[in-house]
Parts: sequence; C-alpha cells; structure tokens
Amino acid sequence: MSRPLLPDPSVQTAPLLAVDDLRVSFATPQGELRAVQGVSLTLERGKTLGIVGESGSGKTVLSRAIMGLLPQGSATQTGSVRYQGQEILNAPTKELRRLWGTQIAMVFQDPMTSLNPVQRIGHQITETLKLHLKLGRDEAKETALSLLMQVGIPSPVERYDAYPNQLSGGMRQRVIIAIALACAPRLLMADEPTTGLDVTVQAQILDLLSTLQRDREMGMVLVTHDLGVVATRTDEIIVMYAGNVVERAPTSVLFSQMSMPYTEALLRSIPRIGNPSHTRLQAIEGRPPNLIAPPAGCPFAPRCPYAQDKCRREKPPLVEGAVPGHSYACWFPLATAGVVAAAGGGGAGGRGGGSA
Amino acid sequence: MSGVSGVGVDSGEAGESGVSGDPLLAVDDLFVSFTRARRTVQAVAGISFTLNQGETLGLVGESGCGKSTTGRAIVQVDKPTSGTITFDGAEITALNRADLRLLRTQVQMIFQDPISSLNPRRRVADIVAEPLNIWKIGTKEERRTKVDAMLESVGIDPAVAGSRYPREFSGGQCQRISIARALVLEPKLLVCDEIVSALDVSVQAQILNLLEDLKRAHNLTLFFIAHDLAVVKNVSDRVAVMYLGRLCEIAPSDVLYAAPAHHYTEALLSSAVEPNPEVKRTPVILAGEPPSPINPPSGCRFRTRCPRAEARCAQEVPELRAIAPGHQVACHFPIRS
Repeated sequence: MSRPLLPDPSVQTAPLLAVDDLRVSFATPQGELRAVQGVSLTLERGKTLGIVGESGSGKTVLSRAIMGLLPQGSATQTGSVRYQGQEILNAPTKELRRLWGTQIAMVFQDPMTSLNPVQRIGHQITETLKLHLKLGRDEAKETALSLLMQVGIPSPVERYDAYPNQLSGGMRQRVIIAIALACAPRLLMADEPTTGLDVTVQAQILDLLSTLQRDREMGMVLVTHDLGVVATRTDEIIVMYAGNVVERAPTSVLFSQMSMPYTEALLRSIPRIGNPSHTRLQAIEGRPPNLIAPPAGCPFAPRCPYAQDKCRREKPPLVEGAVPGHSYACWFPLATAGVVAAAGGGGAGGRGGGSA
Repeated sequence: MSGVSGVGVDSGEAGESGVSGDPLLAVDDLFVSFTRARRTVQAVAGISFTLNQGETLGLVGESGCGKSTTGRAIVQVDKPTSGTITFDGAEITALNRADLRLLRTQVQMIFQDPISSLNPRRRVADIVAEPLNIWKIGTKEERRTKVDAMLESVGIDPAVAGSRYPREFSGGQCQRISIARALVLEPKLLVCDEIVSALDVSVQAQILNLLEDLKRAHNLTLFFIAHDLAVVKNVSDRVAVMYLGRLCEIAPSDVLYAAPAHHYTEALLSSAVEPNPEVKRTPVILAGEPPSPINPPSGCRFRTRCPRAEARCAQEVPELRAIAPGHQVACHFPIRS
C-alpha cells in the first residue's frame, strides 16, 4: 500500500466522501452479527448528510467504519470508503492518522467521557495543533483561544486552564467541537452530538455546527436517532433500520413524500408539540430483528402494518423513486403526496398538498 | 395519619380528571438544600403546587433546575429542608419510619434508567412480587396471580418472562417491568422521573401509551418529570416549568404551549426541534447556560438570561401569581397574548 492518502489535486473532482456497498460484521459467540449490510452513500463538500436510525440500526457502526475506528481484529469490513477519491477502508492506522484531525474529524456522543479528565482543556486543544499543524507553543495557544471563542465559550482565557470537570455538559461539547475543528478538517462526522444535552443547549450546539460548517465549507455527517434534529439542518437524509438503508432522499422530499413504512412509523411515533395533550401516539409494536439471524425478507416486515407475503420472503432492494435522489427499499411503497400531512404532521395545518 | 393507611385499598370513585375536593398532593413552599464542602446548594428554593386526584402534572426544566429533587422530595428520598408536603390529607414531611414505609405503598416512583433500577440477580416475577412479599399481602397463590396480571397489563408475558433476569430484556421491556413493580401495590400517586428519555422513539411511544392506559385503568395520579417538551405535553393535563430551583409558570398544557407567559417558557419552546423541515426555525432567544445554583442571581433567578429584564427583576423576587384561571406565572413583566 504505497498510494498516498493525502488528497492529490487531480482527484479534487471526486466526491468528498463516497461509500460503496459497505458491510461490517462482528464475530460473536452466537454467530456473525451483521451490523451494516451494504450501505452506499456520497457526500459533497459543504453539504450535510443526516443518518437517522434507532439503537441497533447500525448508524454508529457505519460512522465508525467510515472513520476507520472499528477494531480491525474483531470487525470484518468489506466494500469501499473513499475520501476524495482515495480508498481508506481497512487502511493501516498509521496512514489513517494522517487524515484524522486535518482531513476528517469526529465529534462523539458523550461529552462527559470524550475529554481527558486529568488534562486542562487548553492542552487538549493545542495537542492537536502541535501534532498535526506543527505549531509552536505560543502560536498554538493563540489558535486555541480563538477556537474557544468561535465555539462560543465565554471568557476563553480563564477556561483555557480549566479541567473538563469544571465545565458543564454543553461547554464540554463545545470544547470537543473546538478540538475537532482545530485543524480545519474538510469532513466532520458528528455522532449524536447533542444527545443528553438540554434543549436550549442542543439548539445552540446545532446552530454552532451549522454556522461553522457553512463558514468552512465542510462536509458534515450528522448521525442521530432524532428526526427533529435532522429535519431543518441537513441536505439529505438516510434512514437506517437493522443494518440497512431503507430510505434516502433530499430532506424536504423525505418528509413530504416518504415511501418506506418504517420512516412513516418512526415519524408518527414522535410526540409533537403542536398536537393537543393526550394525543394517542402511534407506537411501532414489536422490536427490531436480531442481527445475528435476521429473518428472510424485509427486515421491517414483522412490524410493518402493510406487510404482505412477498415482504416476508424476499428482501426488497433499494430502488430509485420518481424524484431524483429519492430511493427506498420497499415492495409496496406508500402512496406519496399528502401521506405525511395525514400522519398528523405537527397539527400545523398549512402543510401537505402543494408538492409539485 | 388516616390518609396513608389502608394498603391497597381502592381509592373509590374519581372521574377521568376528578377535580373535586382537596388535592391529592399539595406542596407548599418546599425547600431542599444539599451541603457539600461547606457550600450549600438550594436545589429547590421555595416551590408550591397542587396535584389533583386523577390528574397528570408535568414538570419540565433543564438539567440542574431541581426537577428530580422535587420528585425525590415527594417520595421522601431527599428530605425537604423546609416547607410542607401534604398527601391525601396527611402532612408527610415529618413521618416516622413506620408511617413512611406505609406512605411508600401509596406513592411510588419510576426512574430514568430502566436497566439499573432492576436488581440484575433476581428473576422478573420476584422483582414484581417483592412489594407484595414485604407487605405480606394475600396468600402465595394470590400474590402469584397478582404478579402475573400486573406483568400481563404492562405487555410482558408472565409465562415466558417471569423466570428470566433483567439482562435478558431490552430497555423498553425493563421499563415495563419497573412500571409493573411500581403499580403492584396499587399506589395512588406515581412519580415518573425521565422514564422515557433513555428509550428509542418507537419504544417511547409504546411506554407513553401504556402509561395513559394504566392511568385510566388504575385511577392513577401522575407527577411526570421530563426535559422533553413534546413528551410532557403529550401526557400532562397541566405543566409546570422550573428554572434554577423555582417555578416559573404553571398552566393547563394546551395553554402553556400555545401562549406561554414566562420568558423562560417561551425560550424553551423556541429551542425545541420539530421533525418537520417546513417549521421555521426561530432564532434561539437564550444564550449561555443557567448560572450556578450555589450563587443564584438576586431577585428573579432568570433575569441574567432574560431578554426583558429590568432593574426591578434584580431587586424583587417575582412570586407565582394567577394571570388567568389555572394559569400562574412568576414574572414581573409576563408576556401578554
């Protein structure tokens, strides 16, 4: 493997990130657990892709496989992950290190445990700057202070010497974002960046990510279980269920013309602020399938209200819908226009219809 | 002590939201303080509210605002520093050990983490039967029937699940088992502290629906603590908003969400995310984070982040006052709709 991993000008036309038929499985005592079962996606610079799914859907394994963070001994990964045209799946850690930080960075879910508890936050930011950008001490400190300012940390000079336990969860997540952005990566992977934070802080962090992303023309992958988080902040959404992409579409298309019953069920099960109190929620009965011995056919069929015999026998492929960029894995896709509005979309009236 | 006696006695008739007579629970000027390293934190700093029989009162607020402490004070896990809590006509802040044990049969609590709140080394049927065994209610046979019925009513098959251990169940199923355990003594009041926040949305919907069904079937009164505004609205008849140890606003849920009167309530609502790309994102009004409860701002505790704060807000603590029937707000300059 002598090919260069750093981007070479001739491949600048390649998408920022292209994943093709990525499969990840883990060997367990019960058998092979197929966590990701053939996922393909592309992301251009400056765009945001949302990956939505419930626990066990494979969204976190997918994002870690893209980053090259899965333990190479226990995880089997096939397919392709190309960063600016360069294949990085199963690349040696030594080579990936040259990408991490400067090209691809990641913000993890848990702001409480992602920072080193015994090092001052200033040190944790400058460490990256010194290592990757070879900045001197004073220069690194200056850059770190400006980063703390950019992510909205009040009195950065004082906070520079603070330990993580002296900061609130929201502040720690800002520090983590500052570290991730320190070396100006072109791609940011954010795995549940606001889960566990309060709503007001969540809004601040999401706004911060959007602003920074726009300013820096970064590509961003936003992994979340919350359709609310991705609804107004992404260009495109991928919905995952039991290790499979079951629907993908530009964000507005996904919400107005969803075709996969799982996406619809997920949306309907969310309580809405606009609905009156005691509105009966439409729960999805049952549980996701076992990924060690998944049932034949569509993984959602056992819980799908529209499932027919064919769904239980044959697994539906991801097929293109009528709208460009919209695809779904369903033998009997939902009728499109108006379905979402009928599902009680926020009780807002004013929606639905009107789709050209 | 008449109020908390009579374990498992049916509380008699009370309609859907039987708002008749005295409230089931009345909290008056409740303070709860914790002292650590010679510093005192007032987690709850003088709050008052009532909860009627058959009603669900929601409590929302950000982490550290004292909402969990309020719930824990009601079940007497955290002892109030001052103030009174009256449950079913009896003052419960000064109960002796025996009466406190008796109270716990009437007031039950369910916690956030469904897996760690169940004993990993006991079988599910034994976990649910334990309250009955402790109180020696009925014969062994009757207890078994009761446990099976309870598990059945929360959607767990007793024949299959009864002899299994909590680790064999998902988070949602463990929360169902917690609910069964809490309800097996037929309490009157159930305190739910963030009971769905660790669950996936599809499971969350199952649990919320289940809670509504059980509330009706068992004539329960609920105190529902959560940070998720939409979840709280869905289950609550009335909602209270808490900030840094004090209540900002209490109103019937539909009123609170449609026409908030407190600037903090408005700010909270503006930062909620909606799964709808066509919803206009309102700019977030709130900057920063709540100040430390160790040294709260003078006057109105929200004034340091409030867009409408004036000199008076720093001097005078705004008391909760009625601005419409059932709608109380603690603000010198409430939003008029």
